[in-house]
Amino acid sequence: MSEKLYKIISKVFNVDSNKINDETSPENLDEWDSFNFYVLLDEIENEFKIKFDLDETLEIKNIGDIKKIFLKHGVYAE
Amino acid sequence: MKNEENLAYFLNEAKTIKPRELGKKLRVAFLASSTINGFEETMRVKCFQKGIDCITYVADYNQYNQEILNQDSGLYKFKPDITFLILDTRHILGEYFFSWYSVPYDDRQKVIDMKISEIENICDAFTKNSNSNLVVTSLQIPNYSPYGIDDENITVSLKKVIYEINTKLFQYQKKLGKIFIYDFNEFVRKFGDNNIFDYKQFFSGDIKISTEYIPKFVSEFMGYVYAVTGITKKCIVLDLDNTLWGGIIGEDGFDNIKLGDNPIGRSFVEFQKRLLALNQRGIILAINSKNNFDDAIEVIKKHPNMILREDNFACVKINWDNKVTNLHKIAEELNIGLDSMVFFDDEPINQEYVRESLPGVLVIDLPKDSSQYAQIITEMKEFDILKITEEDTKRSDMYLGQKKRKELENKVGDFNEFLKQMNIEVSVKKANSFSIPRISQLTLKTNQFNLTTKRYQEEEVSKFSSSDDKIVECVQVNDKFGDNGITGTYIIEKKNNEEWIIDTFLLSCRIMGRGVEEMMMNQIIEKARLSGIKKIKGEFIPTAKNKPAENFYEDLGFSKEDEFWVFNTDDTIKKPEHIKVIVNE
Repeated sequence: MSEKLYKIISKVFNVDSNKINDETSPENLDEWDSFNFYVLLDEIENEFKIKFDLDETLEIKNIGDIKKIFLKHGVYAE
Repeated sequence: MKNEENLAYFLNEAKTIKPRELGKKLRVAFLASSTINGFEETMRVKCFQKGIDCITYVADYNQYNQEILNQDSGLYKFKPDITFLILDTRHILGEYFFSWYSVPYDDRQKVIDMKISEIENICDAFTKNSNSNLVVTSLQIPNYSPYGIDDENITVSLKKVIYEINTKLFQYQKKLGKIFIYDFNEFVRKFGDNNIFDYKQFFSGDIKISTEYIPKFVSEFMGYVYAVTGITKKCIVLDLDNTLWGGIIGEDGFDNIKLGDNPIGRSFVEFQKRLLALNQRGIILAINSKNNFDDAIEVIKKHPNMILREDNFACVKINWDNKVTNLHKIAEELNIGLDSMVFFDDEPINQEYVRESLPGVLVIDLPKDSSQYAQIITEMKEFDILKITEEDTKRSDMYLGQKKRKELENKVGDFNEFLKQMNIEVSVKKANSFSIPRISQLTLKTNQFNLTTKRYQEEEVSKFSSSDDKIVECVQVNDKFGDNGITGTYIIEKKNNEEWIIDTFLLSCRIMGRGVEEMMMNQIIEKARLSGIKKIKGEFIPTAKNKPAENFYEDLGFSKEDEFWVFNTDDTIKKPEHIKVIVNE
């Protein structure tokens, strides 16, 4: 479920896909800032055709959290 | 249409670009009443792609008032060329945005006036403190009212209020030269409020233009960038087959090309109508097509659904030469730079060839689908200039006149006979408030027939013209093909009772070589004689471009004394007999 997601993350943050894992967060990835996080969410929503709730977006602390929301929305992206 | 890159692309690209040494330079400041992350990055990248090195300044979040009112602010230290002030309705109205309908009727006008003067005061302060161009966004007209369908019946509804504020702003802009109001509602109409405004992003980060639409919004500003840096395009060069009509005239024939009356044909008619409107505004059109001349010109002359006719094209190259050779010829004949041209051709091979060979020409990535052509041209910002003058709107006519002159010249063969048939009339006029801006423009822009190449701003020309020691005159040239406008000027310095010195003497290159320059010198000498002046002295200051004027003095019988060319007013000067002179004192 990660390949497409990682591709988007890698594109938005401009980092290599293999540097990304569930624990990736603003704390350990310099390229992740408060503004491009909105860009990331927008891209994910468009690519996966889902809409995050506002409270869901606020809960996201790392990439693993995004995957959890995916499961809630029934998204199994390969 | 080719999709615009998304914001992630611009954010990352902005990190990699470095200023080049030879590019145009531009300093851009952004001020806003909301979060504008991403704006400056996008603008820098877009500028970079157009060969402009853009340096930006972004005011801190919602600090635009302080930045503008404080004379020592970072904004003014930055010395921007263009400043964008992005205001929004929610911010300007504050609580009124929600509670407008509970404001008593009698108080509403007061609130409106207050809001208008708030914005105007800010702009006034800015113009006092800075020479920068200022672009202010107008306010978005809300698409909701608590009064619902009855809102239209409310006398001072919120929609009408915003409309009124905007109207006042547009009137205000006309009074001040360097303030431009960008019609934000044009952007909203194009993309839609529900797309541009994303509640989630707004609540999360006070983002009022959603990240997805930021690149599209910044694109809207590019017209100002082109206009201020002077890289505006003046001429559209068009292919014919599958560009101005569907099909290939040489294969399909006059009756079978697609133009009007069917879906494909309509798309070409629409495209031509957009081109015609641009042509009438002063954008020059030219044809660059590989075809049998007779086949193609017959369509342009006779096809019932053709919108653009022969007279709309200032230059027509229908032949079997390659596209690049033709573009060179068009540039030469119209006397404009290749970098002021846009090239429309449906063939990817031609696009690529021109793009590779002539990097200055803007080559449009024209797709196979002709239904997109009209939209492509309406989305272009490359024709934008800050103020369209009467001279601009007449440009197409002037180039048409030029083409007809050329045709007559070729037909007559003998050049002297051609000049006689042209019925050239030269009006000599003293500089006045109407002609001073044009005279200044001529000194700034004329390179070829310019004896001294001294550049003068309007204020300087104005000062000279009111001085007793100087003569500032200009000539307007008319002939049987129309008015060429004010195309020549000279500035004489009355040195003493014996001598006058030619400070400036120039003629626009499109008039050069028809005797007008000789006639101008005749005027000067005549005038000097009447004032009892013995000698006219002038310098030739060589530049990289003024070779055409090199032998002018000598040809007219001036003799060289040190660095000056001198004419004794007792001598007779060669006079062009084919020109009629009208002197307006």
